[in-house]
Amino acid sequence: MLNIEHLDLSFGDSKVLDDINLEVHKGEVITFIGPSGTGKTSLLRCINLLEKPDGGRITLGGDTYDYGSITKKETLDLRRKTAMVFQQYNLFKNKTVLENVMDAQIVVQKKSKAAARDKSMAELARVGLEAKADAYPHQLSGGQQQRVSIARALAVEPEVILFDEPTSALDPELVGEVLKTIGEVAGSGMTIILVTHEMSFAEDISDRVVFMDRGKVAEEGPPQQIFRHSNHARTQQFLRKFYTASH
Amino acid sequence: MFDIMTVFESFVEILKVVPKTLLLALIILVLSFMLGAAITYIQSLGIPVVKQIIGVLQSFLRGTPNVVLLYLVYYALPLVSAWFLGLFNVTLDPSSLNSTAIVIVTFSICYSVFQSEIIRGALHSLDKNQIEAAQSLGYSTTQTLRKVIIPQVMVEALPDTMNAFLIIIKALSLAFLVTVVDIFAQARLVGAQSFSYLEAFVAAALVYWGICVILTYAIDKLENRMRRGYA
Ligand SMILES: Nc1ncnc2c1ncn2[C@@H]1O[C@H](COP(=O)(O)OP(=O)(O)OP(=O)(O)O)[C@@H](O)[C@H]1O
Ligand SMILES: [Mg+2]
Repeated sequence: MLNIEHLDLSFGDSKVLDDINLEVHKGEVITFIGPSGTGKTSLLRCINLLEKPDGGRITLGGDTYDYGSITKKETLDLRRKTAMVFQQYNLFKNKTVLENVMDAQIVVQKKSKAAARDKSMAELARVGLEAKADAYPHQLSGGQQQRVSIARALAVEPEVILFDEPTSALDPELVGEVLKTIGEVAGSGMTIILVTHEMSFAEDISDRVVFMDRGKVAEEGPPQQIFRHSNHARTQQFLRKFYTASH
Repeated sequence: MFDIMTVFESFVEILKVVPKTLLLALIILVLSFMLGAAITYIQSLGIPVVKQIIGVLQSFLRGTPNVVLLYLVYYALPLVSAWFLGLFNVTLDPSSLNSTAIVIVTFSICYSVFQSEIIRGALHSLDKNQIEAAQSLGYSTTQTLRKVIIPQVMVEALPDTMNAFLIIIKALSLAFLVTVVDIFAQARLVGAQSFSYLEAFVAAALVYWGICVILTYAIDKLENRMRRGYA
């Protein structure tokens, strides 16, 4: 369903992503883990072209896009098939919760206001926030804001949702509600690419885990293999460091 | 002797030119905003020589009193336009240049510098994260501009812009120098007719103050409405 081939990205002289290949099936949950600065965020940003790769291609929803020669129209087209949940939620601060979820449906998908409202209320109910429809983002907790941004992503019915460390900016006591929401989204059959440092959550939710190191895919496999039986030195080292740091 | 009835009569006379004064100020505000936006845009491109020229112009406009600029335009504009039209073999009678137009041109240029700074400040407050959110959802550049950037920049620029509006209204009192009748000029005329300058200027002060109070109230209301959702 989603297929990335030979993706390369550099910032100036430094190669940030080096020949990334990835195949994701419909309904799959793929989690990326790895040390800081390895290019996990950059990879997500390349998938919806917030960053333009130097080369490679991507197939999504039956269409193939060549990064090297992608047009403006193709860029919008590709972005409309994806949605992104950001670390900092990135809600529109001058719009209510409901407007945040509705806006893209009206502006981008040209839906009627009534249809967009119905869809938005349904998605807000799904993340348990229909009561907050008329609130403004700053009136919500970080966890609630992130759940709104998940509803906003769901509302455009993307082929895939990209989550970039969705709980990293949250106070510890708010992490649970957001993880629970993501779990429910995954359970509903949505295709998900997730970057996270929540290892036990990743182990629970993922169909596949990819360990990235210095711009490359170093190891990938089912969660048990990566977390429990990795025989890759860098993975073991990363996880050991990670567990000693967090326990 | 000071006569309160004369103040009242002057007040009524002066009120007659308020719409014209407000309209003039509004035209100048809009033109200077557009010119200011253009300056901001051109400056943001950072083209070497152009950037310096605009910089010098800005500093010149900032450092020259409005009166001087007004006279400068008043005397220079006819010459310049006569010369320019002369290139196309059109002759122009310098005295036919409308003094209202001169006022509009001068003040629009003057205040464009300030507007440019207001716009730059508002753009500076823009949140890149929200723009990326819009892009990631597939908003085109125009849609992002219309739905995300402009509404937020407007809110940021509103207080300063409205402040500029009040300043322009007051600065228009210089327009009498080139025979345009605004609130102040009208007060002079009314005062001269009745030999009661004090009453006329008391009335003028009240009119200015009244406009200021009403506008400030309206702007506060508007800003509060636009700022809903802002922490
Ligand atoms: N806009 C940019 N310009 C230049 N370099 C950048 C830019 N964005 C990221 N980088 C560099 O690219 C590399 C990969 O960054 P990226 O944010 O993708 O890493 P990450 O794996 O998400 O890290 P973290 O776990 O800290 O979020 C880093 O070395 C970073 O400094
Ligand atoms: Mg990152």
